[in-house]
Amino acid sequence: MRERELAHWVVAKGQEKGAKLIEAFLLKHKSFSVQVHHGKIESIKQAQEAGLGIRVIIEGRMGYAYTSQLDTAPVEEALSQAIANANKTAADECNILPEPADQLPKIDIYDPLIEKTPVEEKIELAKAIEEAAFNYDRRVARSEQAAYEDTVYQVAIVNSRGIDVSYQGSFCGGSVSVVAEENGDTQTGYGMDFVLNFAALKPEAIGREAGEEAVAMLGARKVSTQRVPIVMSPRVAAQFLGVLVPALSGEAVQKGRSLLAGKLGEAVAAKDITLIDDGTLPQGINSSPVDGEGVPSGKTVLIEDGVLKSYLHNTYSAAKDGTRSTGNASRPSYRGTPEIGPSNIFLEAGRASREELLQDISQGFYITEVLGMHTANPISGDFSVGAAGLWIEKGELAYPVRGVAVAANILELFQGVEAVGNDLRFYLGYGTPTLRFRPLPVSGE
Amino acid sequence: MLGKRELEEILAIALQEGGDYADIFLEEKSNNVVSCEADRIERINSGREAGAGVRVLAGDSTAYAYTNDLSLPALKEAAYVASKAAAGREKGVTEIDLRKREPQVDFAITRRPELVPVEEKVEAVVRGNRAARAVDKRIVQVIVGYSDVRQRIKLANSEGDLVEDERIRTRYLVHVVAAEGGLIQTGYEAIGGLAGFELVEGDEPELLAERAARQAVQMLTAQPAPAGRMPVVMAAEAGGTMIHEACGHGLEADLAQKELSVYTGKLGERVAAEIVTVIDDGTLPNKYGSYRFDDEGTPSQRNVLIENGILRSYMYDRLTAARDGHSLTGNGRRQSFAHRPIPRMTNTYIAPGETDPEEIIARVPKGLLVKKMGGGQVNTTTGDFVFDVLEAYLIEKGKITVPVRGATLTGNGPEALQEIELVGNDLGFGIGTCGKDGQGVPVSDAQPTILIKQLIVGGTG
Repeated sequence: MRERELAHWVVAKGQEKGAKLIEAFLLKHKSFSVQVHHGKIESIKQAQEAGLGIRVIIEGRMGYAYTSQLDTAPVEEALSQAIANANKTAADECNILPEPADQLPKIDIYDPLIEKTPVEEKIELAKAIEEAAFNYDRRVARSEQAAYEDTVYQVAIVNSRGIDVSYQGSFCGGSVSVVAEENGDTQTGYGMDFVLNFAALKPEAIGREAGEEAVAMLGARKVSTQRVPIVMSPRVAAQFLGVLVPALSGEAVQKGRSLLAGKLGEAVAAKDITLIDDGTLPQGINSSPVDGEGVPSGKTVLIEDGVLKSYLHNTYSAAKDGTRSTGNASRPSYRGTPEIGPSNIFLEAGRASREELLQDISQGFYITEVLGMHTANPISGDFSVGAAGLWIEKGELAYPVRGVAVAANILELFQGVEAVGNDLRFYLGYGTPTLRFRPLPVSGE
Repeated sequence: MLGKRELEEILAIALQEGGDYADIFLEEKSNNVVSCEADRIERINSGREAGAGVRVLAGDSTAYAYTNDLSLPALKEAAYVASKAAAGREKGVTEIDLRKREPQVDFAITRRPELVPVEEKVEAVVRGNRAARAVDKRIVQVIVGYSDVRQRIKLANSEGDLVEDERIRTRYLVHVVAAEGGLIQTGYEAIGGLAGFELVEGDEPELLAERAARQAVQMLTAQPAPAGRMPVVMAAEAGGTMIHEACGHGLEADLAQKELSVYTGKLGERVAAEIVTVIDDGTLPNKYGSYRFDDEGTPSQRNVLIENGILRSYMYDRLTAARDGHSLTGNGRRQSFAHRPIPRMTNTYIAPGETDPEEIIARVPKGLLVKKMGGGQVNTTTGDFVFDVLEAYLIEKGKITVPVRGATLTGNGPEALQEIELVGNDLGFGIGTCGKDGQGVPVSDAQPTILIKQLIVGGTG
């Protein structure tokens, strides 16, 4: 692989120029996507891209530079720039690079079928997703678009302490947004799935989910302001999990911007909550042999039976804490330094079916859609989001509701989990089952 | 970058299968970031990227191919891949004669960031950090970020347009964390513009940092926001997130044409109160969402979307304008060469009215004053929107009383616009990165102080 040679060249050249610690990160990918609208191709996109990120550490000072042009001149320029940048930052003895591991986990994240499958078949798949949504119910009136996309990528990481890894991976996914219509009322529904294996992508299931959601919301009403038990679908619960996760970053803890600081060994969530991060999870969309700095991926129990057991670490935050990296250096692109992020993070499934979770709720709110989740504040943990879903009456889903807001603090929310469903599902890297919570304020009329 | 002759050659390949239209978008971008956290300069990151995308339109379908290999053979290959959009059609020979188009507006950049020594950028960041930390002992963390981007684009299309543009954008943000007795709160301020280093000269870093710090500290003692429906005053300085969500997105032509907008089919109809005029203007001097040409080579312009409550126009890119037989509005934007253009906002605002802002507050017996808005989201099909409130106060008997925290405001676009009762004679801008279809583009939005009869406040109190 030419990329790996280039990475070695950068590391050697950097050392020559006085950068004792240096790392080259190369990413190359090929992607394809198709969007269809009412059975016709709306757009097709094919692409290839590559880039190199260079991290240097000189006497504890870190500098970074990147380039998308992999010829000698721009690469040398990026190298000089990284060294120049290092000269202007502050020194920190925890700025170090990891050493090579004895062994890397063996995981299969490349499916040759994704590259081999002809474009025509992929287009048919996108059409099948849309068709499944329309077939679900005749009230599914329009689609915004249905899409199929895939990416095949190669990563190479070489550093001056001897790390020298490269691997190849791929994934594919489908999605559709539809509108259902009845008596002048319009409601929207969305279905999506991303998987590692082409054969695991089920267009019917994605389409049906979107159709089901849109139709279920027809005739949605508003409700008055009140405090009721809340149940969240796995998709919504996964979004809330996304607000909690930044607080688990070792760096956020060290820098005073985590709600979970100083709470190791303490109960931070309801006792039914066990939260795991696993970068080696079979079929996990974010699984990989190593993290963004070349440290082996692993499995970390973060919260066990409600008790906080560990934070997520990269090499820097682990050095600060005098512990080992958990293999959570996240690096979605070559454009940035490795930060801290989850791989495949999920709440362990419980035993209850959705019906059982609902059965003794006399009045409650089953949330299937939230609006403005990105406005939740992961530092304070405060959130207030728009919500839509189904009203629960006497243990059953009674009628759709929209245009309300739900607010609380993320820690209070997870401390208030009353029951955990048996239907664990992943949405990209976040997995949760259906969750039932203690009463929360619902703002309405 | 490639010359005229080579671009013509690439476009000819793109249309060889009989496509209706083709363009090639070449981009070179350089980027510098300086950031400070934990009281020290932690990161300095510099990058360069280059790439090109070739687009072919054939009937209702678009093919797009991109690469960051800018050699002529790689671009010809991309053009060949994209040309397949028209596969099966009658092939044609296309003569393309590119002519350079001159911009209709210009923006002055006083201090080009690439000529500013990195020491000065570091100093601007250090000053913000120092000022924020000096505000209060309860401040536990300060993050200050400076970034500048220089994007140079070249666009050539089969209509013969050849356009070049350079966009220099600078941004400065301050994030402050304050803590007391287990409670953590944050404050956030950002400025950005199609501008150079002059954006952060003078005492701008200190002013911004102090505002963010005071916000964080104030939120420690704020009481929980109320829950339920009530009158809301939005101060001009709150920014324009509400108008961006409540009507901006719904007026993007792609959503409107697919009947995915509550504003579909409402041209010429009343969609807002008579005192409401909404404008999207990509020509405003040095605003974050401004440019000379959009990413399809169309000159930016000022578009009146809603005039005295009547819907006048949607925002178009080339593809949607052709479908509606509408003239181009200069709203075809893309995040980078890796994305196809779609209709997007630029600088969107509610035009100022006549009422004195203080009088607006005095008119409210009991309600909420929004002093600073955060992000938001809209479901354009139903019109339901939310936006985050970073700083708010209760209004009681026409007077501002106590600060409140933790509220999102929820409403429905057309309903909220009908219920705007008063429009102030001031105007305040906010900046952000607007996300749509996986593409983020810089925008600004603004509004005068306004009174909305009622919105749902999603608090816990």
